Amino acid sequence: MAISLRIRKRQTPLKLQSGLVLAGALVLSLALSALLLKLQGKPAGQAMLVIFQGAFGSLWALEDSLIKAVPIFLCSLGVAVAFRLQIWNIGAEGQYALGAVGASWVALSFPSLPWYLLQPLMLAAASVTGGLWGLIPAVLKLRMRTNEIIVTLMLNYIAILFLDYLVYGPWKDPRSFGFPMTRQFDTAAVVSKIGESNLNWGILVCVAAGVIFWIFFRFTRYGYEIKAGGENIRAARYARIPYDYLVMLVMVLSGALAGWAGFLEVSATVNRLEPSIMVGYGYTAIVVAWLARLNPLFIGVASLLLAGLRVGVEQLQLDFQVPAAFGQIMEGLILLTVLAGGFFVNYRFYLGKKD
Amino acid sequence: MSSPHPPLVRLEKISKSFGDVHANRDIVLDIHAGRIKAILGENGAGKSTLMAMLAGQLQPDGGRILINGQPVRFTSTRQAIQAGIGMVYQHFKLVEAMTVAENLFLSQEKGFWLSHRRMMERTRQLAARYHMTIDPAAKIDDLSMGERQRVEILKLLRRQSRVLIFDEPTAVLTPPEIEQLFRALREMSQQGKAIVFISHKLDEVMDVADEIAILRKGRIIDQLDVAEVTSKAELARRMVGKEVLLEVDRRPCKTGNVLLEAENLSGEGLEGVSLQLCRGEILGIVGVAGNGQKSLAEIICGLQPPASGRVRILGSDWKRFYATRTDKKTLSYIPEDRQGLATCLAMNLVENFLLTTRLTFSRGVWLQRQQARSRLQGLTGDFDIQPPNVDATAGQLSGGNLQKLVLAREFFREPRVIVAEQPTQGLDVAATEEVWKLLLAARQNAGILLITGDLAEALALCDRVAVMFGGRIVDTFPTTDSEKVERIGMMMAGLETPGKVAAG
Repeated sequence: MAISLRIRKRQTPLKLQSGLVLAGALVLSLALSALLLKLQGKPAGQAMLVIFQGAFGSLWALEDSLIKAVPIFLCSLGVAVAFRLQIWNIGAEGQYALGAVGASWVALSFPSLPWYLLQPLMLAAASVTGGLWGLIPAVLKLRMRTNEIIVTLMLNYIAILFLDYLVYGPWKDPRSFGFPMTRQFDTAAVVSKIGESNLNWGILVCVAAGVIFWIFFRFTRYGYEIKAGGENIRAARYARIPYDYLVMLVMVLSGALAGWAGFLEVSATVNRLEPSIMVGYGYTAIVVAWLARLNPLFIGVASLLLAGLRVGVEQLQLDFQVPAAFGQIMEGLILLTVLAGGFFVNYRFYLGKKD
Repeated sequence: MSSPHPPLVRLEKISKSFGDVHANRDIVLDIHAGRIKAILGENGAGKSTLMAMLAGQLQPDGGRILINGQPVRFTSTRQAIQAGIGMVYQHFKLVEAMTVAENLFLSQEKGFWLSHRRMMERTRQLAARYHMTIDPAAKIDDLSMGERQRVEILKLLRRQSRVLIFDEPTAVLTPPEIEQLFRALREMSQQGKAIVFISHKLDEVMDVADEIAILRKGRIIDQLDVAEVTSKAELARRMVGKEVLLEVDRRPCKTGNVLLEAENLSGEGLEGVSLQLCRGEILGIVGVAGNGQKSLAEIICGLQPPASGRVRILGSDWKRFYATRTDKKTLSYIPEDRQGLATCLAMNLVENFLLTTRLTFSRGVWLQRQQARSRLQGLTGDFDIQPPNVDATAGQLSGGNLQKLVLAREFFREPRVIVAEQPTQGLDVAATEEVWKLLLAARQNAGILLITGDLAEALALCDRVAVMFGGRIVDTFPTTDSEKVERIGMMMAGLETPGKVAAG
């Protein structure tokens, strides 16, 4: 006779307790991070405080976190559109890059346009380039039955290398002293700052995108069809939901939203196209979408949290000489603990006796 | 039923229910070494449930299983296999990228190093012992269905199984492969294995079995030796059952114009089927499951295109009909698979209601959830859906209530053509009667294609029936033709073709 652990799926997933599970998972991930710091001989408690203060402890820090949250939020909203149909778009990084390229092309090609024409044109170009970059894996999936996870991932590398090619080659600023970057955008191409703050009007784009996302899924037929198609593809076929069309739709929307992030990054934050804009926002966005369970409001909160983590860890680097990769480790730990926590929401353990 | 030896396995008053549905009731069954036992029964009779309990997949609610007189309890298939009971499933459980020998010794080899040569050799020996031919080095991917099945059998023999259960093993095989399988079954039984053979095909059972147990509606209604069988027709009648449990008032309805027309229709498992359905009638498609009904329903309902032949629905060609988007006064499909096809279990009832009514509740791109919600609230009352909470998920409903939800939704669409597939399967008597009444009432404005394996249901409801066997329609006749109705069981069993009607 031995005691055994058995696992059963719950009849209905936990609702109320899931908030607690989430909180527990976050605490656990922080504890594990602290443990890692301790093993490195760093003062763990103090380090956690530094991260928090570095991210949200001052107006300047909060602004920086918000600025970094913008691209994460838009990319995350994008992947969430696809995830709702259970299309696993992990290509936000590449779609973001292509969006940045599209917006930059407009900025560099039509410098004489006034801002109220130029910026909408840049946004439109970013939507088209990002959207098309999302459409490729959708069409390949539908036509050739390829796996979108692999195709979107591989397209990321192509997009990033294409961006590199442009800034090292044809678009390189002749006065950049050899640095890979385009020339600085004219002021008409730069999304302006809000009043005296460091924040730009891109925040407003995020709010609008979030609200539209919510309305789209809550009140439109397409939103409903995407949800139904994601829940049960056979039932979608039974109900004559145009599944193939929806796959293309969500991938275009997904890519376009990531493209917007690329536009805002080159226009408002960097003011030019350069390889340093590729810092993995598109991957963080996937973590955010999962943490937020594809809910736009939670995506906002989670984007700010993970953007804050990035900013905070930068401070940690300065104060305690912790490697930059520590931020990614913490991000990974958060995702792991939250995913593991999700298991407890859907399953429960039984202690049983083994014959 | 008598046998000189004590049984190897004895089932004592085994019962199993799923919700309100009794899948098995008080099953008593003996399985002897060296004998081939056929479990004969209609689809949904409870054969698979019974065998799943013997193979450790399911646990009985009541009764016990004895092996050599010792009671046993299996909580997993692993335990059943250790006790010598193994099953060959309809869907093979093989690693397709690996070889025959590797599949055989998967998880069975001890130690770290594998000897491929030894695995091959032992596979060859095992196959030779039962006179089976198989290439131990072949990849599963490259094998035919019959060969894959042989690998499954060898897996069980390799684990020293004493009882081998076959769940409709001939369904995926070609006729020569069936012959080979039967030879292998006889060989194994001669070498002392107990074979249990689940089937609904009379010919096969008569061909290979020593004993037959007939299962109907979860109960064993008869057990006999094959030698005692006097006529196949009698066996067919017993298997299908014909007593009408319910009486519904079926007044003839004036039939109108043709709503659905299939001409020489072929598809997967379907060959040259023609039929016509008029307004005001219920046309029954009866037959043992797996004789082409699934394909017929899927083609008519737009889930697969016809391979050849023509379908006209409400005056439009198939392609044109399915290019038009509308959900009122058109075709409704009430599929057998309520959970996987007709509903999304994770969505709430309103969202499930909207699945096929979303165009009705749309204004431009806007979906009017509130209107759908209040509409459904009314319908939950009319259809007595329990619990009447439209915000619950469909997964929280019992099978019967889920079916009521599907019916409420589909009848709300005021369909002109209804394709109903086993609409009362798993429902209790009261719910069955409700569904029957609904279908009868609906034919005022619609033509109904009722696909059912339940002959009592077909006879109670249908104006005409078409009997399917082997992908073809054997015969179509009005249910008032008592002479032909008598022979439905034989037609379903493939014992009678239109050509040799006189055989009676």
